[in-house]
Amino acid sequence: MLTGALALTACAAPAATDTEVVDGGTIVYAHQQEPACVFGGWIEQAYLSYQVLDSLTSLEEDGTAVPWLAESWAESEDGLSWTFTLREDVNFTDGTPLDAQAVVTNIRHWTEGGGNSTANVWLSGYLADAIAVDERTLQVDLVAPYPRLGETLSQGYFGIQSPTALETRTQEENCAAPIGSGAFTVEEWRRGEEIVLARNDDYSSPPANAGHNGPAHVERVIWKFIADPTTRVAALQSGEVDAIYDVPAVQWASLENGDVELLRHVTKGRPHQLTFDAVDGPFTDERVRQAFAHSLDRETIVETVGRGVIPFEGNGGVSAATPGYSEAAAARYDFDPDLAVDLLEEAGWVLPADADAGERAVREKEGERLEVTLPYGAGSIISTDGAAILQGVKEQAEQVGFSVELVPVPQSEFFSGAYSTPEERDIAAGYWTAVTSGILWVNWRPSTAERPNYANQSFLADEELAELILAANSARDVDEQNRLYEQAQEHIADRAYSIGLFARLSTLAVGPRLQGVWQEHAQGGPVFHDAQLLG
Amino acid sequence: MTAVVSRPGGVGAASPVGRGPARRRRHRLADRPWSLWLALSYVAVLAVAALAPGFLAPSSPTAVDYAAALLPPSLEHPFGTDESGRDLYTRIVHGAADSLSIGLGAAALAIVCAIALGALAALGPRPIAALVDRVIEVLFAFPTLLLALLLIAITGPSATTQIIAVGLGSAPGYARMVRGQIRQAAGSGYVEAAVALGHGRARILRRHVLPNALRPLVAVAALAVGQSIVWASSLSFLGLGVAPPSPEWGALLDAGRPYVIQAGWLIVIPGLVIVALALAATSIGRHLQHRLESGARA
Amino acid sequence: MTRSSWARPAVRIVGNAVGVLVGAATAAFLAQTALPGDRATAILNIRAGQAELRTPEELAPITAEFGLDRPLWQQYADYLLGLVRGDLGTSYLQFRPVGAIIGEQLGATVVLAITAIAIAWMLMVVWIVATGGRGPRLTALGSLVDVTTAALPAYWLGIILLLVFALGLGWFPVLGDGTPLSLVLPALTLAIPLAGFLAQATRTEFERALEQPFALSARMRGQSDLGVRLGHVLRHASLPAISLSGWALGATLSGAVVVESIFSRPGIGQVLVSAVSSQDLPVVVGVVVLTAAFYVAANLLVDLASALVDPRQRAA
Repeated sequence: MLTGALALTACAAPAATDTEVVDGGTIVYAHQQEPACVFGGWIEQAYLSYQVLDSLTSLEEDGTAVPWLAESWAESEDGLSWTFTLREDVNFTDGTPLDAQAVVTNIRHWTEGGGNSTANVWLSGYLADAIAVDERTLQVDLVAPYPRLGETLSQGYFGIQSPTALETRTQEENCAAPIGSGAFTVEEWRRGEEIVLARNDDYSSPPANAGHNGPAHVERVIWKFIADPTTRVAALQSGEVDAIYDVPAVQWASLENGDVELLRHVTKGRPHQLTFDAVDGPFTDERVRQAFAHSLDRETIVETVGRGVIPFEGNGGVSAATPGYSEAAAARYDFDPDLAVDLLEEAGWVLPADADAGERAVREKEGERLEVTLPYGAGSIISTDGAAILQGVKEQAEQVGFSVELVPVPQSEFFSGAYSTPEERDIAAGYWTAVTSGILWVNWRPSTAERPNYANQSFLADEELAELILAANSARDVDEQNRLYEQAQEHIADRAYSIGLFARLSTLAVGPRLQGVWQEHAQGGPVFHDAQLLG
Repeated sequence: MTAVVSRPGGVGAASPVGRGPARRRRHRLADRPWSLWLALSYVAVLAVAALAPGFLAPSSPTAVDYAAALLPPSLEHPFGTDESGRDLYTRIVHGAADSLSIGLGAAALAIVCAIALGALAALGPRPIAALVDRVIEVLFAFPTLLLALLLIAITGPSATTQIIAVGLGSAPGYARMVRGQIRQAAGSGYVEAAVALGHGRARILRRHVLPNALRPLVAVAALAVGQSIVWASSLSFLGLGVAPPSPEWGALLDAGRPYVIQAGWLIVIPGLVIVALALAATSIGRHLQHRLESGARA
Repeated sequence: MTRSSWARPAVRIVGNAVGVLVGAATAAFLAQTALPGDRATAILNIRAGQAELRTPEELAPITAEFGLDRPLWQQYADYLLGLVRGDLGTSYLQFRPVGAIIGEQLGATVVLAITAIAIAWMLMVVWIVATGGRGPRLTALGSLVDVTTAALPAYWLGIILLLVFALGLGWFPVLGDGTPLSLVLPALTLAIPLAGFLAQATRTEFERALEQPFALSARMRGQSDLGVRLGHVLRHASLPAISLSGWALGATLSGAVVVESIFSRPGIGQVLVSAVSSQDLPVVVGVVVLTAAFYVAANLLVDLASALVDPRQRAA
């Protein structure tokens, strides 16, 4: 049973008019990408595992953590030890109880067992130890203070699984149907088609920001995978599905006029941005990076391709939705091709003497052409809208004398290590969702030979920046913390290590037959626990 | 009768190759001169587009114009514009070089492989011929697109892979045909006569067998180009070929997919361009075939 | 085709089947060894969703799981032995046997392929009987339609059909939800070009047969025009189309790759495309091997059907 008062702040369902709410029923939901496993370090997996696994904390709309499996928590005076008190009488769906030891097993699974690489990146360097003090008391010891630990744990990467299931079942079983204490269980996975989620009738542990207590209203959620955005929208309009994920920008306006409810969540953390390779090639020169930034009319590109739905984001460090966001860093580079040309000339990159006036020329320096490579994860990390935006980037940068090679790289090729070295690429495109500006440490921890940081796409080891971020991460006062994070972003912007393009959106369109769906505030995934079908 | 392949060489859009005696009828559509002229002029226009795109469409195919995004066809933009305001007509014209060279490259590769395999199977020393025979049969059992996908799975997508994948994928069908042609030519009366006259093996091969066996390939090559372009664009459409912003036609179709409801022209027009090319290739191929057959009979 | 006895072709067909499977398995094996980069690293990164270098300690369990430390010939032999037992290997991504992954999806694709071929035959028969040998104008129109439909690429036709009949008119569902109605558009997408092919193959035979003595004598016995066309002429003219149908099955399987992606239908085409783009080679290879086996089986049926239809072959 819940002890604390439930904060019923979640989006209240729109008042039903002439239709009646039905009990039970099946929601058909069309999602875009199908991950290999339900639980893992990718946001697509976080969306899915959120339905099945509960986490210790949940994120509130204002960016603070509220209770979920952890009923309360406290930070020690020195900030080096956290004590979580777990909710009572919570069972996993395999019947085993949730206790502090179970959470310890999960933490070890993420960090040492390779169970979740993203969870591991967040904890590494900070986690010293996790101890089950008693059945309901979990102690997490840190190497350095990390006041935003509660918020960080609200991300789907930190979903808690049954340790019995983890230890006794096969890898295949834990991949396809992890056992948690969540509102739904994985009933069946028809690969390439859909996952059937069945209601957990004994559910007793919704987060404090849930709309209601107890089991979900609906009996089943059919989580379909429909890669083509046009088909998803059409299926929603024809009533074949009740809700869809990721509404393409071009369809947004046409849906807005109907009886469809549109939900839009700007994810926190790193926005869609470009990071320059600052250790090899032309972008080692700060002026060349700045010239690239000034050559782009990023706002117009994003506004046109995004059709007013996708927000422009100038800040390469974190998105505007993130606490500790710096406006100054976002506004650092305006569209100024003349300045871009001046900067390039100053850096020694000049137009070849034999360049035709009409032809688009590539600048040269000491016989070398200003050619840069921009690989991107096509179809997985970068959507079709994103790819169109990158094409605009290429086009505009080439106006001032760059030659940009866009390379769409399939997900798998990235995994086998393609374009991962400074020699192979000059610009990296991508995003990384988070709930705090702590993402800066993940993305900018110095990459050194002894301790490489593959998530630092600039390949830099900027110790000054590292100190700023580390100080921010451990700052106990929120204003002080935000000020330091802002300084870090301005440090990045001034040196043009990275420039922002657009904020990463998580959008949902909900048909008229369904109400009460909301987007959880950590990553914008759909929450079906409170959803109800109308008869 | 020419060597009859019971199944078409490649799979896909263009006409099946060489089937029976039927083609000789005068009222066949493909035998009508106007269809040939239409096909030839279309191919000529595409050739100009490939060799001198600036002549037909002077502006840049990647030039964005954000004020003109997703405009329907008009006088200013005859084929409309895409999501970044790029002119579709310009992009199709400039995509001809990529599309045609992938198609030509793949068809050439397919036919060269086919000749090599087919000749080995028909004329090689016995054990090798038997082995190659088997290899052709085994490869022919794989649908073209699946063979192509297998290759792409190994090497990852790119224009080169696309050429190799489509070329190798469609080679087995043509190899079967070449094998049949050579066997037929080798067993024909004039070869027997040449043998009786005491001509050398190499000379018979060079003077009699190969020319007669390979002549029909000219027609097949025309069909193969059309088919290869369709195959290659299928791969691009699946996101496994040339990538945007390249204006290769299959890539144009792939890029236009999200806008199909709001901007149908982005799908319809590039599709028509490809279909028309496949039709033109069929028409030309059939004419050549007809020509060669009546020539051979005369 | 079978002319003298059934034994020789049977041996040839079985030989082909074995050859296809061994060939495919070998291609499969070579393909896997040709995968760029370290295989164990790739497998581990694919599973973890991260692109980074790995330590030998991290790689050890993967190496052991897939037996990557054994000599190549031994891995090859094991692979072949596995095939004999019906074991196609394990997916890098899903941790599951490839056989099970394909098995789940095969039914949907087979239903699609067979429906498409059936529809193609119906379209072709109606079209040929209606337009064949009815004077130069109708014949020209008929053959124009044959050639044009045969040239329609599946990806384009599919989108147009989806756009008009599902999204525009709303006559058919947008998603492949397994109902017969949802099968119509995907099957038509494959059937229309196929009907064009079959019609090209049949039309000339059909016109020749119309002028044959047996057609004339049937007419003289007072049979109706339609009766003659359907009963005698079509049967005679359908041989080339029958022998094309084995190939057609392969073509529809190729087409299924595209069609399943457009119509969001489950099936091995979808499995294949996602496996190709994630370089899950055991799955790719499994699909390819299976398709080849399928093709061999289909051609066996085609040979049988030809023998049944062609009186010369039956008499022999």
